[in-house]
Amino acid sequence: MPFFERGSTRIHYEDVGSGHPMLIIPGGGLNSKIGFYTSTAPFHASNEFKSGYRCITPDLRNAPEGQSSGPLEVDRPWDSHTDDQLALMDHLGIDRFLVMGFCIGGPFIWNLLKRAPDRIIAAVISQPSGVRPEAPRMSYDNNLKGWGPQICAMRPELTMEMVEQFLRNMYLDKDFVYTVPRDFVRGCQTPVLVMPDDVPAHPYVVAMESARLAPNAEVCLYPWKDTKENIQLALRHVRTFLKANQPA
Amino acid sequence: MPFYEKGAVRIHYEEAGSGFPLFIIPGGGLNASIAKLGDSHPFNPMVEFSSDFRCIAFDLRNANGGQSTGPLEVDRPWEAHAEDMIGLLDHLRIDRCMVMGFCIGNPLLWNLIKHAPGRVVAAVSAQPSGFRADLPDHFYKTNTAKWGPALCANRPDITADMVDRYLKRMYLANPDFVFSVSRDFVRNCQIPLLVMPDDTDSHVYTVAMEMVHLAPNAQVSLFPWKDTRENTRLAVRHARTFLKANRPAA
Repeated sequence: MPFFERGSTRIHYEDVGSGHPMLIIPGGGLNSKIGFYTSTAPFHASNEFKSGYRCITPDLRNAPEGQSSGPLEVDRPWDSHTDDQLALMDHLGIDRFLVMGFCIGGPFIWNLLKRAPDRIIAAVISQPSGVRPEAPRMSYDNNLKGWGPQICAMRPELTMEMVEQFLRNMYLDKDFVYTVPRDFVRGCQTPVLVMPDDVPAHPYVVAMESARLAPNAEVCLYPWKDTKENIQLALRHVRTFLKANQPA
Repeated sequence: MPFYEKGAVRIHYEEAGSGFPLFIIPGGGLNASIAKLGDSHPFNPMVEFSSDFRCIAFDLRNANGGQSTGPLEVDRPWEAHAEDMIGLLDHLRIDRCMVMGFCIGNPLLWNLIKHAPGRVVAAVSAQPSGFRADLPDHFYKTNTAKWGPALCANRPDITADMVDRYLKRMYLANPDFVFSVSRDFVRNCQIPLLVMPDDTDSHVYTVAMEMVHLAPNAQVSLFPWKDTRENTRLAVRHARTFLKANRPAA
């Protein structure tokens, strides 16, 4: 599988299928990687859509189980990843694209919509992560215990102090979908399809609030991950959503 | 206001918008009429979809409050309505269409698909009615109490006995599932289908979800979706993308 390099950042990605380009952001929090498809994903997104779309899936920079690496930009955690995503699409010569994101892909999609609103045609936000008001430190705490020590063990130049700063800027004192305020979502005209979940890291209330705020949002059935049949129903909704919104 | 006439049958219909035809079957049980789209329905499809589609809606034959009339075909109630729908499509020279049915529109749209194979390219069934095992004579009773007397009062040629035979044939002769087609028919129906479930005495959630799980190209909206304006808007957007994705290329 190919790599894209930009300065000291090296992004490993998969590029399969043909058709209109679709960036797919795997789930798994800061361990977001292509391997998500064959581990915890509710469906294998690139296999499902490669017959109709050019599916581009990167490993997240510094995901321990992925192959992408780069500096830990402690002062701009979300934006550094968005830089990678936009630069990868630039590298592939892709101007406008669809985007589908799982889990941490939710905040990333909103950041993409903020940073590059004219490039995103439509977005599918699956099992999005968000700030659970009753547990606002959850992602910070979990990553400090899990991802932080793991990445430090692999990368001697990174310290736990840097990790702590990175996570603090990423997850603490945030609200809603982490990356954008409610007013941004309220004003976002891009069609979005939200596929809610309800586990600690994927709060249903945040998913539904974003769906109700965004003026061109849709939402799939819920629950949809509980049975194979319901996943198929949700996938049919995704297919019609993508088909209806792809450029002629 | 336009009418389609065939023999003693006179069907009132309305059209709005342009584009691929969207054939709309209003709800309201046997009182299904165009007027109900704008008052008792969770959204008005003639308003919502006329910017993208040629929307056609009609009053059901012999609906009180509507303007369509015709014989009460006591031995073939579902088929008589299917003939009206196919006749109206023929009259409008519509070879292929999408169909959206509310409430009684569910058994009616299935019957349309059965009687006019190849003609319906996609279907939306909103708040579908169906058979409830715990209320097996629900439709017979409610129509006997409400629809029948009003119809007889307006139509001296129709008696309470005729109404009784008609309703028995319609709702008690095949008391199962969606009344008009079998589970096997739904299981083999390849037409893309969007179901928007409801859960009232007439709009049976279990039947709606059984349709969704049987039909090989079905999808389902969020549920509930009629409870708030926000949720209705989410469901209408789903219906719109479903229709756009499934209309044939120009």
